[in-house]
Amino acid sequence: MNTMRLTWHSVRMMNRYKLRTSFMMLGSIIGVAALTLVVSVGQATERKMLKMVAQVFGDSSVIILDRGSQMMGGPRSPGVRLKVDDIEAVAKGLPGIDAWDPQQGISTPVRHGEATETAQILGESERSERVWNRRASRGEFFDQAAVTGSARVAVIGQTVANELFQNEDPLGADIQIGAVPFRVIGILEPWGTDPHGMDRDNEIVVPITTLMRRLTNVDTISSAKLLVSDAGRTEEMTPEISRILRERHRLSAGQPDDFSILTATEVRQMVGQVQRVLFLYLPLVAAVSLVAGGIVSTSLMLASVNERTAEIGLRRAVGARAEDIRLQFLFEAAATTVAGGIAGIALGYAGARLGASRMHLGDITPWTAALIGLSASTVVGVAAGLLPALRAARLHPTEALR
Amino acid sequence: MIELQGISKTYIRPTGGTVQALADISFHVKRGEFVAMVGSSGSGKSTLMNILGLLDLPTQGRYLLDGQDVSSLSVTDQARQRNKKIGFVFQTFHLLPRTTALENVELPLLYSDRASFEDLGRRALEAVGLADRVHHRPFELSGGQQQRVAIARALVNEPELLLADEPTGNLDRGSALEVMSIFQALNRAGRTIVLVTHDREIANHCHRIARIEAGLIVADERVAEPKDALQEAK
Repeated sequence: MNTMRLTWHSVRMMNRYKLRTSFMMLGSIIGVAALTLVVSVGQATERKMLKMVAQVFGDSSVIILDRGSQMMGGPRSPGVRLKVDDIEAVAKGLPGIDAWDPQQGISTPVRHGEATETAQILGESERSERVWNRRASRGEFFDQAAVTGSARVAVIGQTVANELFQNEDPLGADIQIGAVPFRVIGILEPWGTDPHGMDRDNEIVVPITTLMRRLTNVDTISSAKLLVSDAGRTEEMTPEISRILRERHRLSAGQPDDFSILTATEVRQMVGQVQRVLFLYLPLVAAVSLVAGGIVSTSLMLASVNERTAEIGLRRAVGARAEDIRLQFLFEAAATTVAGGIAGIALGYAGARLGASRMHLGDITPWTAALIGLSASTVVGVAAGLLPALRAARLHPTEALR
Repeated sequence: MIELQGISKTYIRPTGGTVQALADISFHVKRGEFVAMVGSSGSGKSTLMNILGLLDLPTQGRYLLDGQDVSSLSVTDQARQRNKKIGFVFQTFHLLPRTTALENVELPLLYSDRASFEDLGRRALEAVGLADRVHHRPFELSGGQQQRVAIARALVNEPELLLADEPTGNLDRGSALEVMSIFQALNRAGRTIVLVTHDREIANHCHRIARIEAGLIVADERVAEPKDALQEAK
């Protein structure tokens, strides 16, 4: 018996029963597509998230937030009391703080000529570039004099530049933020979308003094980031920072903090939770669909064995051994699911590309996902084919021919 | 060619108890003979056919095929022997649908240890007069033509023995005669053929008629003057 010959014959037979074959493929197409999509989007998301975390939140960072405003947004409570002076006091009171940057923001329409765009306006210090690790890709950042003098200068994100200026060069141009005219002095490095889907290129950074005086008319800040010289000490600095801030806010022993302090450790925990979702639960859901696909394949194969009883009997009569029949059915199951798996990888990859470009996740590297998808569909295929193949091989030729 | 010595076959009923399908049958077929087995349904002729065709094993007795004892072959060896030595023709043709005549005919070659199919399939189709239907699929062929494809399939591996189980049962008289004339031609060329039928008319085309009743051969006689199917068809 020539196995290659039988295999080729099986391929031709499957080709003749296109509907049956494609239905058998369908389960693994859907399952593997889901798996590929989830795994490759998960990988891209993780890369993006880690990059963002590293940028926003290096190991040597401490972030202080006003009470109520959480890392990820949340409602703003009325009693915001965090001020630039508080942070300055912390920085002066504690050794080992290299740099710090306060931040306050509003969302407001920005105009240039006829074009209008609602952007996030961030008020920051001249140290923003260093503290947030985001520079001006063109032009320049504002300096200390601009902050002290509340200069009406702005560094705008790429999205803002595109929306307001199209083909014009934004550098040196005037824009109106709310009712206040500003001069564009720089373009921010592109950043992409953060995990909440916020376009971080739709931002404008202005001196925090200008923002407070001209735009928001408040003297509080929403957050500040401190850079610590010794990354290992961020944990032990937390209670110190807390003590200084409580003192300055005159909080008595029983009162809760009106601020919160976030260090890299906490962020890593949050990242870990996200990773668990990305690489455990989501693929698990996809795997369930793959198993469901396998069950569908098995039942289709079983039905096909019943339908092809006479064919099996005939093959036995003309000399097929039980193992030839088993091989044929097993091969059919494996071939259809693996072919379906390959189609599923292509489909999942296409979906992942689409999703990634919508969510600005950057490049999709499909190799891990493809490997997982292909091995999963092979395993599912063989498992799905085993029972029908054994049943087909067990059929007694005289009964099958009846 | 075929030598059955004291063959019996007992089935165990699923409900318990046993059925004796064949009881102590001894029977010989010489090389080149054309034998008809007649009997009503339930007489045991199908069981006998299955044993002759190595699709089933006897409960007792010895079966010598071509001088070799095949009464207790393993299932795999049975398959090998079927492939080499026996060609089957069935009442319902058992052609694979959506598959050309040639591919249907080549099916036994698929399970043989031949290195290549050469043009064995084509030649077998020529032998049954279907050289011009090689790429037709079963639904494009008449009943008689389909059965001729099945005969070509039975012949393709050049077996010693042709076993035909009611080969004309699903055919009109004209097609039946056509099929019988092919069998007669094959027999004249030296092929040993055993044919099961319940139709006395068909049986009269053979050299010898064995009658089976209740698992026993009750009559075994030569046909003085076998009918010529080709003449009748004219």
